Amino acid sequence: MNRWIYSLLIQLLFLSQVMGQTETMEESEKDLLNYSNIKSVLKNDGLVEEKKKKEQIVKEIKKEKQKINISRYDFPNEDDFWLQISEYWLVKNAQLLRWDFPKPEYGIDSAFKNLLENFGFYNKHYKILIVNSPKVTHLGLPAGKDRYIFVISLPFMRTMDLTKVDISLLLLEDMLRLEKDYLKNNLDQKTDFLGSNFYGKEAPKKELIMKFLGGYDEIIFSKGFNFQQQFEVTKQMDSYLKSDPALWGAYFNLLKKIDRLIKNDLLYKDYLKIYPSPELQMQWLSPKKKVI
Amino acid sequence: MGDHSVSVESMRLCVAIGLVFLLNSGFANEVMGRKYFNEFLGHVHKNPARDSASLTIVQCQHSVKLLSNESTPEGWAYVQVGEDKGYIELRFLSTNRPPCFQEKYPKFYQTFNLDLSEMYFWGKLSDHYLQGRTQAK
Repeated sequence: MNRWIYSLLIQLLFLSQVMGQTETMEESEKDLLNYSNIKSVLKNDGLVEEKKKKEQIVKEIKKEKQKINISRYDFPNEDDFWLQISEYWLVKNAQLLRWDFPKPEYGIDSAFKNLLENFGFYNKHYKILIVNSPKVTHLGLPAGKDRYIFVISLPFMRTMDLTKVDISLLLLEDMLRLEKDYLKNNLDQKTDFLGSNFYGKEAPKKELIMKFLGGYDEIIFSKGFNFQQQFEVTKQMDSYLKSDPALWGAYFNLLKKIDRLIKNDLLYKDYLKIYPSPELQMQWLSPKKKVI
Repeated sequence: MGDHSVSVESMRLCVAIGLVFLLNSGFANEVMGRKYFNEFLGHVHKNPARDSASLTIVQCQHSVKLLSNESTPEGWAYVQVGEDKGYIELRFLSTNRPPCFQEKYPKFYQTFNLDLSEMYFWGKLSDHYLQGRTQAK
């Protein structure tokens, strides 16, 4: 009897367990796949935060890489562009200007430095190239802010028997032209692309550079500077040199010498086209006669 | 006969030792360090003179080996670039990597598409410039 009652109790217990089961197999599997169960654990470990941080870093790296790649398509800024174009013009005209020849130390650079410092031109960087051709007599090329490239002709210096002071005065005149951006303005070329970027756009062609070089040729060999520009430069020279009568006199005599040269030497007949005109410059410098 | 062969052997040994000594002292130059070329383009010269023949062209940021050479005049460095050993003016060499047009604007630089002759003359420009800078205020 006891044994019968005992087996009945076990059966009832089993039945109650089966009846009381609330989750199916699928439901428990879903629970297993539901990460929310371990979310709190992950949160406590800081793994979610770490994952987010890493994703952010990867995002930043990708962004920076893209930025670097885009910057490879930058057009140069003004300063870098003009230095490059001016030097390229010198390279392209190396045979014509004949600057690749052995030359002694003339001391022009130190004389010019002294002159600039005397007039308070500080922190100016300059490069002077002596050419062995009369094709260009003297010239200033843009090379960026406070940077200048000067070209001076050895045959011109010799023919005129120029002193270091004379040469320095000519270079100062050229520097003032550069400060006023005359060459750049006379080029008549669009420069709005400078400092911009051509990523995803059509790449610039060599014609763009050649147009600038063509403009340089035109100004340096034939068009030159206009009367107004020459007047302004001469007046500025006048105001600087007035404080030093010896230098003012040297400048006036220099213009006189150039005027004589261009009127007598056919080799320099084109000088007037580029720098009009020493004769007028002397008139602009001369004090006006008072009419009583 | 035996004595003769010994003396030839010892002579050979002397010559070999002499050669090793020469290589260590005279011919082989000790590497003093590295510097970067800081102009757009330039030349390694055969002799320490601006008008001396060019051995090779170097570009801005090119790393050059500085070699010891007691006869190098002031203002010049004796360097090795690739297989070529020659001279570069010290003012064209920097300890730190200099900023360069080629590196700043690599895609625009390609537009120039310089040929060898242009590279040669561009390199010569810095040799011919008389450069100066007025004092900073």
